[in-house]
Amino acid sequence: MINSKEKAMVEVINVKKSFGDIHVLKDITLSVEKGKIISIIGPSGSGKSTLLRSVNHLETIDAGEIWFDGVQVNQPQLKGRAFEKHINRIRQKMGMVFQQFNLFPHLTAIENVTLAPIKLKKMAKKEARELGRYFLAKVGLTDKEVVYPSKLSGGQKQRVAIARALAMEPKVMLFDEATSALDPELVEEVNQVMKQLAKEHMTMLIVTHEMNFAQEVSDRALFIDEGYVVEEGDPKMLFNSPTQERTQLFLRKMLTE
Amino acid sequence: MKLNFVPVLSYFDSLLAGLWWTILLAVSAGIISVFGGILIATIINYTSRIVSAPLRFFVWLFMGTPLLLQLWLFYHGWAQLDILLPAMFIGIFGLGFHYASYNADVYRAALETISHGQYEAARSLGFGHLRTLFLIIIPQAMYRSIPQLGNNLIIMVKDTAILSIIGISEMVLAAQYAISVTYRPFEFYITVALIFYAINLILESLLNHYEKKSLIKL
Repeated sequence: MINSKEKAMVEVINVKKSFGDIHVLKDITLSVEKGKIISIIGPSGSGKSTLLRSVNHLETIDAGEIWFDGVQVNQPQLKGRAFEKHINRIRQKMGMVFQQFNLFPHLTAIENVTLAPIKLKKMAKKEARELGRYFLAKVGLTDKEVVYPSKLSGGQKQRVAIARALAMEPKVMLFDEATSALDPELVEEVNQVMKQLAKEHMTMLIVTHEMNFAQEVSDRALFIDEGYVVEEGDPKMLFNSPTQERTQLFLRKMLTE
Repeated sequence: MKLNFVPVLSYFDSLLAGLWWTILLAVSAGIISVFGGILIATIINYTSRIVSAPLRFFVWLFMGTPLLLQLWLFYHGWAQLDILLPAMFIGIFGLGFHYASYNADVYRAALETISHGQYEAARSLGFGHLRTLFLIIIPQAMYRSIPQLGNNLIIMVKDTAILSIIGISEMVLAAQYAISVTYRPFEFYITVALIFYAINLILESLLNHYEKKSLIKL
């Protein structure tokens, strides 16, 4: 199966998702082209996190299609073990960063980074250690190799989590409110790492609350509300002169906060 | 009546032989209880209620009946049915399963405290369900269980004394032989008590050390 838009790294087509009676995603379509950075903004409860989690299949969508690098992620015809194999293979190429970091507390920083390459790619331990060092250096944590997560600050934890995702050399990085759980003074160090990735043309899909950051790094921004994409476009246009009333309302609210 | 510890000294070799059996029992049953417990807890927590029903029944049975009765049942009960097993085998597995049941309960509680985010993070890297359990969830639950596992282990070491009733010549039975010859129960029992106390002091400090070391991994 070849995707119609071959350039798109991630494509979400008419996706619907409900939790019981609550329709979180009503009809969402978006695409992330290779090397592009797309930001998703919207009020809490708008479905933006659910959308991002659906791309990684942490949520199972009810209808629609999700494509990643020419392969359909949700494959209703694949069941049980066959689907497990399929999704595990896809996830290895898709980095995910969580709001709560979710570092493995029983492993050191470098073990967190090298676990997946060693176990999933069968990389030799020595080679993996070099890889781990490389990615920890990339996020500015060379001196924290053998430190356990309990001894790291929130910002450091999130940077290790980013290094952990990068170590699998993903084709896309998904950020689910990566800085929302951080103290304000720690936000910038994580943003810096994400900006660096942007410079290196990593394909990224970012769910965020931070308008300034979104405007600065992204190629395109989406405003999602009540399960629909309300407005989509150039971030400068979207943030400064939104055409939709709901976007204007949301942005005004964010500014007064 | 005066206390006389000279007979204890002359029978010290047989007490030491008993100590060796006590240690062998404690280590073997300890390993079974620690790893059997996590196996039971994992199966109970992560399979359907129907699959885990027999296990839950056995845990309930082992926790709900006296250890002494279990040992007699396995030793004399099976002998009556012509299933002859060495006393040492029954001792190790009887004690091991009994405490595996208690540990399973500890692990089950610990498994439930591991946040779902840990599971999702491992899955998002591409790990399958089972590898996520064995690499991420179970090790964390084991670290969190160390304090309570330690308590159970200390109680279990003391319960090796009960195995004297099925004829395993561990320390208490060795003392009883010596007492039957020397008629010095106080001296022998107090000596054995002190040895048990010393074993548990060592065990406790080891556990404390390990517990402190594991704190950083929580």
